[in-house]
Amino acid sequence: MADVRLVLVQARYALLTIARTPRVVVFGIVFPVILLVLFNSIFSSGGDPTVKFGGGTIDAQAYFTAGIAAYAIMLASFSTVAVALTTQRESGQLKRLRGTPMPPWTFMTAQIVRAIVQVVITVTALVLVGVIAYGVHLPGERVIALVVYVALGTACLVTLGIALTVFTPTVEAASTIGPFAAVMLSFVSGVFVSVDNLPNWLESIGKIFPLYHLAEGMQTCFVTGTSGTGLSGQNVSSLLVWGAAGLIVSVRRFRWEPQAAAA
Amino acid sequence: MATAISVRGLKKSYGALEAVRGIDFEVETGEVFGFLGPNGAGKTTTIEVLEGYRERTDGEVSVLGADPGRPTREWRDRIGLVLQDCELNPLLSVAETLSLYASFYGSPLAVREAADLVGLGDRLGSRAGTLSGGQRRRLDVAVALVGDPELLFLDEPTTGFDPSARRDAWNMIEGLRDLGKTVLLTTHYMDEAQHLSDRVAILRDGRIVADGRPDELGPQNGATVVSFELPDGVTPDELRSRLEAAVETSGRVVTVRTDDAQRTLYRLTSWAEESGVHLDSLEARRPSLEDVFLELTRG
Repeated sequence: MADVRLVLVQARYALLTIARTPRVVVFGIVFPVILLVLFNSIFSSGGDPTVKFGGGTIDAQAYFTAGIAAYAIMLASFSTVAVALTTQRESGQLKRLRGTPMPPWTFMTAQIVRAIVQVVITVTALVLVGVIAYGVHLPGERVIALVVYVALGTACLVTLGIALTVFTPTVEAASTIGPFAAVMLSFVSGVFVSVDNLPNWLESIGKIFPLYHLAEGMQTCFVTGTSGTGLSGQNVSSLLVWGAAGLIVSVRRFRWEPQAAAA
Repeated sequence: MATAISVRGLKKSYGALEAVRGIDFEVETGEVFGFLGPNGAGKTTTIEVLEGYRERTDGEVSVLGADPGRPTREWRDRIGLVLQDCELNPLLSVAETLSLYASFYGSPLAVREAADLVGLGDRLGSRAGTLSGGQRRRLDVAVALVGDPELLFLDEPTTGFDPSARRDAWNMIEGLRDLGKTVLLTTHYMDEAQHLSDRVAILRDGRIVADGRPDELGPQNGATVVSFELPDGVTPDELRSRLEAAVETSGRVVTVRTDDAQRTLYRLTSWAEESGVHLDSLEARRPSLEDVFLELTRG
């Protein structure tokens, strides 16, 4: 289908744009790998620590590998999309695109494809570092679940990043709220601090948002000594519901024309 | 000739502000139509209604036989746009930008061909962000052309061009006319509008105050402009009584508008001879589009 080609062409140029933006390469790809090394160095210094997880325990290094991978997905999807699209909207690039015959859904889908490619690169790098440097083990029967969480999490957070642009009239606003939300949610979603160490009320707040469920889902994939696919109804449905909400807001309220100068 | 654009009683309000207050005009297929007016006259609002960006408040509008208030993909495929204040992605090269936009259209030009049309054939590998202002505007025009449209909206396409780049742009727009394209052009440069347009319409405060061929436009009175420098020791009032014509001064320059250039020049020069006054920079000319424009949009 010709429109699929349109998605791929736009995804290709969106990727090229990202690859030529040092800020995104450093903070979206290099930074999470550094974080992983730091966390595992700090928390593994006392022998062979474990984290309480889902009634059992999980190796701390596996916990942080999966958690930081979820954080990297949040950055590559939610934060990057919100900043990039607000920038493109305010500089008139989107208005220009809207005047062409290009169907809007191909533009939106291209954002998701671009994020998935970026996420696959980053998550692969993180998992490889985890496996090689810290002996993290990914059971074979959980690979499918990991792929599902990565794909679903990316799509969900891209639609939320697009939806966020509805509420960011300026690039300044987008580049503040996007990364701020990623860092704040990381503390209550089992990325930087294990959920087990959180007071109940903080965990309850974390549980509302999709990053908690993405991190927990990905961490489940690395739990050894249990059976099962690793897919949980609660985690998958949270990502689906948030993704649908982001999609509805984006379809109804997304703006192609600059907002800051609007009359 | 078929009609490319037809506008009847177009009105557009933003809240209490009436930006366009009921205008009518038609653009024929293959014509270059100049749309002129001071800032805030309603040019861009009108164009954005025709381009499908704005919904009109009232009136009938047809662009390529369709209502731009309900733009379809097929309709956009036949239209090319150069917008004001719209950047292109600074991180993509000229070739990448053109190839991205070409992919949106049913039968686009080759990237190389579009770049050559605007004289960017030797900058294909340069990123848009590294181009000069004039080159970026040319890339804008190339993006408008790459879909091989029938109708082009060029909203101030030569803003920021140096004189030689403007001449090149003029040649390019004349080339578009030769290709049978219809062009709706706005510009602040009256010499440009006069040179390029088959017909123009002048907009003021949301209304069309004049339209027609650029050389036919003009007020009923004062068909010739006589100008010279005000001689020392002479007052404008003294000139008025001698010449029996409309006399205006702007700094040292005196401008006289007259229906009868021969009589005015005779009176002026014989008075100067008698009074022993020398008239520096004396000239008589037909009013340019710029004179007409200033006359109609003043105040």
